[in-house]
Amino acid sequence: MNRTRLLLPLILGLAAAGCAAKVSLPIDDPQLSEAREAIKQAKQAGAEQCAPALQAKAVASLYWAAHEITEEEYHPDENASLIANAIKYAHQAEAKAKKMCWRLEGVHFAFDSAELTPDSRATLDDAVAKLKKAKHIKVEIAAHTDSIGTEEYNQKLSERRAKSVFDYFVTHGIDGSRLTVKGYGESQPVADNDTEEGRALNRRVELRIQK
Amino acid sequence: MRIFVTMLALLLSAAPAWSNPIAGPSIEERSDVLRTQLKGQSDYHAHLARELATIAEAEKAQHDIRVAKIFMEMAEHEATKSGGEQ
Repeated sequence: MNRTRLLLPLILGLAAAGCAAKVSLPIDDPQLSEAREAIKQAKQAGAEQCAPALQAKAVASLYWAAHEITEEEYHPDENASLIANAIKYAHQAEAKAKKMCWRLEGVHFAFDSAELTPDSRATLDDAVAKLKKAKHIKVEIAAHTDSIGTEEYNQKLSERRAKSVFDYFVTHGIDGSRLTVKGYGESQPVADNDTEEGRALNRRVELRIQK
Repeated sequence: MRIFVTMLALLLSAAPAWSNPIAGPSIEERSDVLRTQLKGQSDYHAHLARELATIAEAEKAQHDIRVAKIFMEMAEHEATKSGGEQ
């Protein structure tokens, strides 16, 4: 009995010393809605891949602001600067992503196929014109799928689709040495795969400007 | 002996974790390890891990060790995702 009474505070002490408290950050707090939306828009523009440093700053600022809301002595006016930072960095990330990642809006493929549909021609021709104008840049053709189907299948499908775009560019006069091809399958979603709208955003081809 | 054990328990309960050698590496040490592991990594997860570690250090500087640990855990978790396809 005496031993138990002695050991209990020791065990509690060790536990308190060795473990950080687990808390969930109130990311959904209404005060953070503008920052959340800005980060979401930046992500959909490809910021995690094409402006990763800025997007990380935005998300970290959001987390920090979310934590501050949980503080006992919470000061909304002071936290406003963290929220403002999150929004500022997200906007910068979105702008940079749009500059560095050209989303080929309008490029579509036949269902379950790597064959480009005829309505993709306008978008691809526009991209060809841009690449011919900016002769100094090299780009990665990055193809993505949604999460319907197996991971392995989607990976291979995205690789074939990226190759189709590569072939189109080369056929239309772009030097193949300026292009690299990469299929990412379903690994880099920019939106929620649980909705049709989100899946449509995730099925995409991007041109990523290489440094 | 009883007095010694009781005093030790009280000390461990009351002392901040950063001053307790049993609590493991400090926030700064964990941050250094994380930054070393992520050296050369420039993907989103690596950047986010470093940002979260910076917040952890800032919270530690404000003597909020509990929050510092939370952010360091988040940083370490994010670091595990780094290095994949980007």
